[in-house]
Amino acid sequence: MVTSLIEVAVWTGIFRGLQATTLGGFGLDNYLAYAIWGSFVARISVTWNYESRMIEEIESGSINVLLSRPTSFYEYYLFQFFGYKVVTTFISLLVPLTAALWFDLPIFLDRLPLALLLIFYYLILVHTLSFCIATIAFHLNRVHSFTVAKNLSLWLLSGELIPLDLLPDFWRGILLNLPFANAVYIPVGYITGRGDIALLQQGFLTTTIGIIFFGLLARLSWQSGIRVYTGTGA
Amino acid sequence: MTKRLEPHIAIETQDLGRSFKTYSKSEGILASLRGFWDRKYEERVALAPTNLRIESGQIIGLVGANGAGKTTFLKLLSGLIHPSSGTAQVLGYSPWERKPEFLSQIALLLGQKNQLWWDLSPMDSFALLTEIYDKDAALSRKRLAMLAEILACGHVLKTQLRRLSLGERMKMEIIGALLHEPKILFLDEPTIGLDIVAQTSIRNFLVEYVKLQGPTVILTSHYMDDIAMLADRLLLISKGQFVYDGTVDSFVAKTEQKQKISFSLAAPLDQDFQINPQIFLKAGEQEFSFSVLGHELPPALAKVAAFPQVHNIRIEEVDFEDVIHSFLEKESRVLSPGHSESP
Repeated sequence: MVTSLIEVAVWTGIFRGLQATTLGGFGLDNYLAYAIWGSFVARISVTWNYESRMIEEIESGSINVLLSRPTSFYEYYLFQFFGYKVVTTFISLLVPLTAALWFDLPIFLDRLPLALLLIFYYLILVHTLSFCIATIAFHLNRVHSFTVAKNLSLWLLSGELIPLDLLPDFWRGILLNLPFANAVYIPVGYITGRGDIALLQQGFLTTTIGIIFFGLLARLSWQSGIRVYTGTGA
Repeated sequence: MTKRLEPHIAIETQDLGRSFKTYSKSEGILASLRGFWDRKYEERVALAPTNLRIESGQIIGLVGANGAGKTTFLKLLSGLIHPSSGTAQVLGYSPWERKPEFLSQIALLLGQKNQLWWDLSPMDSFALLTEIYDKDAALSRKRLAMLAEILACGHVLKTQLRRLSLGERMKMEIIGALLHEPKILFLDEPTIGLDIVAQTSIRNFLVEYVKLQGPTVILTSHYMDDIAMLADRLLLISKGQFVYDGTVDSFVAKTEQKQKISFSLAAPLDQDFQINPQIFLKAGEQEFSFSVLGHELPPALAKVAAFPQVHNIRIEEVDFEDVIHSFLEKESRVLSPGHSESP
């Protein structure tokens, strides 16, 4: 909430200083809508809690419980993660929805279901990436710093800081071809009218490629980690 | 790939061994910095290459000092860790491949470690386990009722796990481990930290359960009552090597039995007194207790009886626990420590 207010203040200040009504083809109301929806979507697509839990389980040896049962560590946390995100998403959705309607900000409500679908699809990639980082705990201690570095990188790559369409074409092209733009820019851009269905389709494609890539990486890192695991805590 | 075991063999190991390589760091910040380019590693043999066969339905008591390799052995057989050498077949599966079909047939119970969900009631945890093990819900509930009745803990099934006492939690952990009717139980110190009443209750339950269901059990415990009551085969392990494999009775027969003599004097001893070359009674003390081998008993008793005003002479069999500990102590002095340092 606080970051949203800060961003609202920043964009308002920018437009006052610009003495223009549009920036990059979009007016202040669009940037305010982006800031509010961006904060909401960013909170859904970032993971701190579950990644920390997975790391903690491996470091402490609590993972022994899951290893001795016919269940997958990846799937166990994936479904917990999804359950948590579904509940928090639909409760916190009221905030940006209310703000957008109250302040008459640009929003295409009929686009919301597809945007949410992309966000939840992207969460599979988020979890897979978290899983890759967690498996580092088989080899190193205190891997939480990787979580911080990862989330900071995603903050820059996702478009949460600024909409990606403000970047030079070259960098914009690169970032849109990476799956991380689906964390904020693509779904928020679609909801607020910055992008069209083609952008969303690109989002689904890059997310799919990302899931495959990080999925393979996750499989390799898990197999490598489980070979050297010493059964800590047992 | 699974190998066919003979029908009555549940577990078979061939040269199964495990070493752990640990970073040996000297004290201080300079040593920490040096560790970036010049690390010294220490390799410790936790389990020496081992060949064992365990028949279906056997109850194995695995005894050894801390760090002897008991838990490493259990971790290998339950698939938690990979071996450094050798192979093992448990119910025809290689444990560390961790196939769901294998994991569905075993249970690993680690004493004083929570394996149920801390924030859920045991009923909710058991419902979740029923799903994880893909069991029929109605049959699972029936089995739960049976286990809860034997353990006399039905009244706390709906209470959040974190609110239960240690003894009650342990009973829930046992139910959780047995709910899916495992064919093999790995019990790592199931009664550790429990009071005597809870220990007895769980011990009696396990005796009854193994009679009813007939699983193969490997039980580690520091409480010899657990081993004596349950195990029909005893494995002693010391410094990663199995030093005894046989029945409890033949172990007792094999080891020379000691007798414990206790007595007191009317007045403190005025000077040191030698009972035998190993046993000295200290001057100034009044209460005495020592153990001697069977053939040393008569001369030791004769010397005690010669004291003026001696009373409360008692002769007792030394505990099975003390016999085990003496045997292990003797073996550990013989065995090499299994350490090596490498750069």
